[in-house]
Amino acid sequence: MTADSHALTTAEHTPIAGLAHDARGGISNPILGMLLFLTSEVMFFAGLFAAYFNTRAANKPWPPTEFEHILNPFSLILVATVILVASSFTCQMAIWAIRRNDRRGFIRNIGVTFVLGVIFLLMQVYDYSLLFDEGMTLGSGQFGTTYYTLTGFHGAHVFGGVIMLGVVLYRGMSGQFSARHHDAVEAASLYWHFVDIVWILLFSILYFL
Amino acid sequence: MSSTPRKRPASDALVAGAVVAILVALVVAVFLTGAGNSLYPPAAATTQGRDIRGLYDIVFALAIGIFLLVEGLIVWSVIRYRRRPGDIELPAQTHGNNVAEIVWTVVPTAIVLFLFVISWQSLSRVDAISAKPDIRIHAIAGQFQWQFEYLDANGTKVATQLAPAYDTNTGAGGMAVPVGRSVQVTLDSPDVIHAFYVPRFLFKRDVVPGQTNRFEFTVEPSEAGQVFRGQCAELCGIGHRAMLLSVIALTPADYDAWLQGLIEKSNATPEPLPSGTVLNVTAEGVKFDTAALEVPAPPGITHDVDIRDGGGAVLAAKDTIDGGTSTNYSYEPMQAGTYTFFCSIHSNMTGTLTVK
Amino acid sequence: MATHALNPAASTYARGGLYEWLATTDHKKIGIMYVVNSMLFFLVGGVLALVVRTELATPGIQFLADERVYNEMFTMHATLMIFVFIIPMLAGLGNYAVPLQIGAPDMAFPRINALSFWMLPLAGILLISSFFTGGAAAAGWTSYPPLSGEGPLNSPGSGQDLWIVSLILIGTSSILGAINFLVTIFKMRAPGMTLFRMPIMVWTILVTSVLVLMATPVITSALVMLFIDRNLGGHFFDPFAGGSAVLYQNIFWFYSHPAVYVMVLPAMGVISEVLPVFSRKPLFGYRAFVFATAGIGALGFSVWAHHMFTTGAVFLPFFALLTFMIAIPTGVKMFNWVFTLFRGQLTFSTPLIFALGFLTMFLIGGINGAFSAAVPVDFALHDTYWVVAHLHYVLFGGSVFGVFAGIYYWFPKMTGRMLDEGLGKIQFVLMFVGFNLTFFPMHMLGLAGMPRRIADYAGDAGWNEWNIAATVGGFMIAASMLPFLWNVFISLRNGKVAGDDPWEGNTLEWATSSPPPPYNFDSLPEIRSERPLFDARHGQTAH
Ligand code: HEA
Ligand code: HEA
Ligand code: CUA
Ligand SMILES: [Cu+2]
Repeated sequence: MTADSHALTTAEHTPIAGLAHDARGGISNPILGMLLFLTSEVMFFAGLFAAYFNTRAANKPWPPTEFEHILNPFSLILVATVILVASSFTCQMAIWAIRRNDRRGFIRNIGVTFVLGVIFLLMQVYDYSLLFDEGMTLGSGQFGTTYYTLTGFHGAHVFGGVIMLGVVLYRGMSGQFSARHHDAVEAASLYWHFVDIVWILLFSILYFL
Repeated sequence: MSSTPRKRPASDALVAGAVVAILVALVVAVFLTGAGNSLYPPAAATTQGRDIRGLYDIVFALAIGIFLLVEGLIVWSVIRYRRRPGDIELPAQTHGNNVAEIVWTVVPTAIVLFLFVISWQSLSRVDAISAKPDIRIHAIAGQFQWQFEYLDANGTKVATQLAPAYDTNTGAGGMAVPVGRSVQVTLDSPDVIHAFYVPRFLFKRDVVPGQTNRFEFTVEPSEAGQVFRGQCAELCGIGHRAMLLSVIALTPADYDAWLQGLIEKSNATPEPLPSGTVLNVTAEGVKFDTAALEVPAPPGITHDVDIRDGGGAVLAAKDTIDGGTSTNYSYEPMQAGTYTFFCSIHSNMTGTLTVK
Repeated sequence: MATHALNPAASTYARGGLYEWLATTDHKKIGIMYVVNSMLFFLVGGVLALVVRTELATPGIQFLADERVYNEMFTMHATLMIFVFIIPMLAGLGNYAVPLQIGAPDMAFPRINALSFWMLPLAGILLISSFFTGGAAAAGWTSYPPLSGEGPLNSPGSGQDLWIVSLILIGTSSILGAINFLVTIFKMRAPGMTLFRMPIMVWTILVTSVLVLMATPVITSALVMLFIDRNLGGHFFDPFAGGSAVLYQNIFWFYSHPAVYVMVLPAMGVISEVLPVFSRKPLFGYRAFVFATAGIGALGFSVWAHHMFTTGAVFLPFFALLTFMIAIPTGVKMFNWVFTLFRGQLTFSTPLIFALGFLTMFLIGGINGAFSAAVPVDFALHDTYWVVAHLHYVLFGGSVFGVFAGIYYWFPKMTGRMLDEGLGKIQFVLMFVGFNLTFFPMHMLGLAGMPRRIADYAGDAGWNEWNIAATVGGFMIAASMLPFLWNVFISLRNGKVAGDDPWEGNTLEWATSSPPPPYNFDSLPEIRSERPLFDARHGQTAH
């Protein structure tokens, strides 16, 4: 980037046109913006996870015996996990499709991703309702507080992701994306993968560790 | 180099040098005449405090040196290198100097490492905790009072000092300690974070709920008879600045007598914990005007009974009373409903009041 | 040396109506709105400080209703100063300067830029509104739980919640701003503007943005947890239900220590622009300076527990060592600044004078901060007025003086008019003297044992004289704002017309008209060094 760019400045007064968008190729502004945004999201979750580990280390036994059974990973939660992970794959397939300029394949895959995301959210709501029935709330000791906060914030992010996917789907259906122009799709998919990775972390830490 | 800077008269450098020299002389004079004493902490009363004072003196000397050096350079440059009407040519365009960069990286590094090492050494002395201290005191800091429990060698409580501050008129109150003996203080809080701070110890330690902190000190024998002021140093709410305490340094013999007195006093009054008391009052009829409440707490800790409505607004704020005594409070008639009443000194003393 | 006429004749803003400002996405207008908005909150925060100083002038509770009101005063003073004044002010200067200095037409995401700005007045108004809805937050700007939790003696009422919500808003604004800066700096530099030719101001904004990006979300998490504890029955920080009070402090300072560099690095950037221009020399040790800035940023993440030395819950030697180490890169900067002056030709315009004020007082503030790195010394100094002295020497003596240097420096560019030099110097003298009169005695108070955050003190504690001095000084600082406000007022109306490049600047913003047209440049000079304008003026050979 350093030496080459001299080539562009031959005259003392460089015409400014073309500067507004980057002349050097490489990663596009929206995608770089999204990556940076995800960095900040990582730090946000790092704060929550740090609190979780700290709390967990200070409270024995963990999980408290009364709630031990809800941490059975081989239950509804596993199905939800599979669904979310699958949605990451369909999302990636949508990306590959639009990069090939295959708009129909793109719309189909984004549509599936969107639906899977919604199903995940519904399952989480259902799961919460079961837990409430059992009397577990945010106030149920450290366990309730951390469990709901971590999964709740993840759920909120899924919700945000679903909205993004919805917008992408809508714009895709009105034909706004092509192989050359689909930064928004790439950005949304990055976000969606991120949400998925956070869930995998969360799932392994809450249920297995 | 397209330009050579104009030759500057030597008198410029003289003036600049003179100004810097005067500044340095002024600073030196401040310390030599004793006017700089307020830039030192007060004389330390404990062995640990003297250690800290020694460290402070070294840090301070280095700080003054660094300040004079850098500030001297600034002042000198400012006076010496002002732009003159004749300065049309550019000055030499120096972009940097690697040797200089290395020097001013390495020298401060050396200073800083030296400071780190001596403060670590000092820390290990100041923070040392012995298994068998001569005296054990358990200090409880609650909103907004201190309470000192004197413990025996096994950690069993023998007496409680409920009046944390020394009263010059009555001679009562305060946390007495014998000089020349190691005193270990353990700290606990039933509510928020407080901090034990005695300026003449050059020391403070936070009182963190849910975590027992401890520290140790030995008052210098020469300080016998002194009373040291202290106060809570961590913001803990509206009464923060009133959380005063005193430490009284006594000769070992005086201390024993003092403790004996405290033990007798402690045994004389029954001593329930001031916190956790729940008051329950039900008044029949909308015309509710008085309630007699007995506050079962030891003297020295004050209470009151204020009333709050369902929305949280305070309806009645009463004067405080000393624990162990009883008082009649009168309240204005109230609408039927549920109220809370509480002691404004102790957050956990609340009760429900139902007016029918 | 006559300056090149680099551009077509100055095209001024079409003096658009209010709507144009409200709807703008132009980084220059947004930058100016940041500056004006922050300045307003500076005045509000300053008035609260004056209330604090008046109460403390003499022993006794004189004119505030009670301690709770006092606690609200300094809590809101610090919150406004830090979150609604200094951080946004520096972001605003960056917003104005960065695209111009790298030769870009605007920020990368102009609409997000406008959004970041508009969150700030909203958050500020929320904060202030809490005074009228049952009492503002009163647990200090650090808001440690359990005190910031519920309970009649802790923080009942909505003030603390409004505080949390506004801080989250401001944090979001900062994060969006940081992303915007980073993308702009990485992607929108003019041809020839390599990383190591960027003005130091841009470098400091870059490092600051990284700090914001990595640290601000962490405090958001702490605030969210605090909110859950207060309102939804959570127990994160509740020591009586298995939570930990110190946990909050760790998370808070993990953000707030890096944040103090967010509050000073851009001001250092301003200084690094001003000193070379007014001494007619390049910045001494440009590369060393860049590495030092990055080093401060990196070290800044590993020293947070120096605010917690007395909690008995942190590993002291580690944090002591790293805290001491921070003095090294900062020292490198200090010496490079001084050697920029050395053998220069200094013109004492107001920006330079404020920059010199910065050097002197940041030096004091840095050194008195290093006292606290010696842990046992901090046992004596922590939570006393010594720390209040330290934080004002770095934040006011450093950052605020840097901000004024920047305002005097860029005002001609922003408005096309010069600020009056005489009034500027009056402001400086009043401010400099008032500042030292206010905050130097706080060292003595701290050593003599006066804790911070107390509404009242005993009359026989030996603190009376220094407190009166500090109060008088505080009012002097306030007085120094009057010539400034007057200066802005009259200069806008009939100040001297600035021209494109009134200071013989080095960086690209001086290559366009004052104020610059929308999208900034018609053409750019060749960029072969960190001083493209200097090169254009004097030719490459002048190196
Ligand atoms: C702009 C903001 C800013 C900046 C830049 C700094 C810079 C530094 N701060 Fe400060 N600090 C605050 C804002 C800031 N601080 C605030 C707001 C608080 C209080 C928070 C609260 O509790 O409310 C605080 C509190 C604070 C504490 C906690 C005190 C306590 O509560 O007990 C400590 C402890 O170590 C500390 C240390 C330092 C150090 C070592 C630096 C260093 O970066 C300084 C380095 C600079 C120099 C040292 C000068 C130049 C160097 C040389 C000339 C080289 C030679 C020098 C040496 C060899 C020493 N600060
Ligand atoms: C950038 C940050 C910043 C700035 C600029 C200031 C500025 C000032 N501060 Fe602040 N202060 C802090 C950050 C800052 N402070 C922080 C972080 C704390 C710690 C809080 C805590 O413990 O939680 C603190 C705490 C603090 C205390 C300690 C309170 C306590 O512990 O009990 C005191 C006491 O004197 C004080 C005083 C002042 C004064 C006198 C000013 C002066 O410089 C103010 C000057 C006045 C003005 C600028 C007002 C000018 C107004 C006019 C002229 C009126 C004109 C009006 C119109 C035109 C509408 N401050
Ligand atoms: Cu207890 Cu402050
Ligand atoms: Cu810090």
